[in-house]
Amino acid sequence: MDTKIMTSRAPRTLRHGMMALLLAACAAFAAPSALQAQDANDYIKDLTAPSQDEPTVTALVLRKMVEQAVAQNAPLELNRATIAAELDKLAQITVQIQFALDSAIIRPESYATIGAIADALHHPILWKYHFLITGNTDTTGNRARNLALSQQRADAVRDALVNLYGIDGRRLEAVGLGQEVLQTPKDPKNPINRRVQLFNIGLE
Amino acid sequence: MRGRIWLAGLLLAGLTTGASAQTMSYAEAGALIAKSCGKAITTYCGKVNIGSGKVLDCLEKNNAKVPPQCFTDLRAAIASIDKRSVARQDAFRLCRADAAQFCGSVQPGDANLLDCLLASRKVVNKACQQALLDAGWQ
Repeated sequence: MDTKIMTSRAPRTLRHGMMALLLAACAAFAAPSALQAQDANDYIKDLTAPSQDEPTVTALVLRKMVEQAVAQNAPLELNRATIAAELDKLAQITVQIQFALDSAIIRPESYATIGAIADALHHPILWKYHFLITGNTDTTGNRARNLALSQQRADAVRDALVNLYGIDGRRLEAVGLGQEVLQTPKDPKNPINRRVQLFNIGLE
Repeated sequence: MRGRIWLAGLLLAGLTTGASAQTMSYAEAGALIAKSCGKAITTYCGKVNIGSGKVLDCLEKNNAKVPPQCFTDLRAAIASIDKRSVARQDAFRLCRADAAQFCGSVQPGDANLLDCLLASRKVVNKACQQALLDAGWQ
């Protein structure tokens, strides 16, 4: 059920035929009956980074940029292109996690989705990589509140990955982006903007 | 009472993730927790997040109202997650001799070694085989 509401982007970076072959081989060994196992394999594929390009986005830079824009009540327009362009370069997945209204409590229907992310992060192909977890809201409500809430939600997803599913916390950084990096800027109240994204930020 | 529930949980965990059975994927474990405990968590522990490590405590405080199946399945899910984590940590140690024998020419990294071990899974030693299975890699 919850598996239907997530989308994932194809990576731009799956360059090596060898890698594709390897992934196909791994997929062949996965339990074919489990729907989520397929999702985890998709996540692995989409989160696999190229070995050469070291990403330049850091959690610290992102957090500062967004906090500054909200504090000054200034638009992020100038920087958004930069952020979006930088984030766009990274291997990534986008998932819809269901939270309780105006809260960072993860609803049970999303436990499996977060589990599928954990399945991917636990795979040896991704073992050495670190990831950025970003939380996003739409523009409904107060801008500063949205920023705080998105940080709490990104933290909640990180906590679940670490404490329930045993991912090494040193591999994960959570950043709330509030309503600052909309998926559909022309339709800012669209619920599709409420999303959690994972970005492969390299070896660190 | 608590001890008995624990025992039941362990027994079930033993049945579902026993010597030759495969562990659940983390996605399946999450789905099981949601299915058996989702309603109780939302109703009695609505302010407790699943990643806080306090959900089981909260459910136990509401023991009388929470369905016993929830405790059974929650513990089975956690046991399976732990078993899979341990298998993943131990697999390459348990498979070291086989890796040396069958995968000597493989360039380590990017799961190349795992791929080779899986290709050789019928001939690797039993402990290695079991670890690969429990790790959810085959």
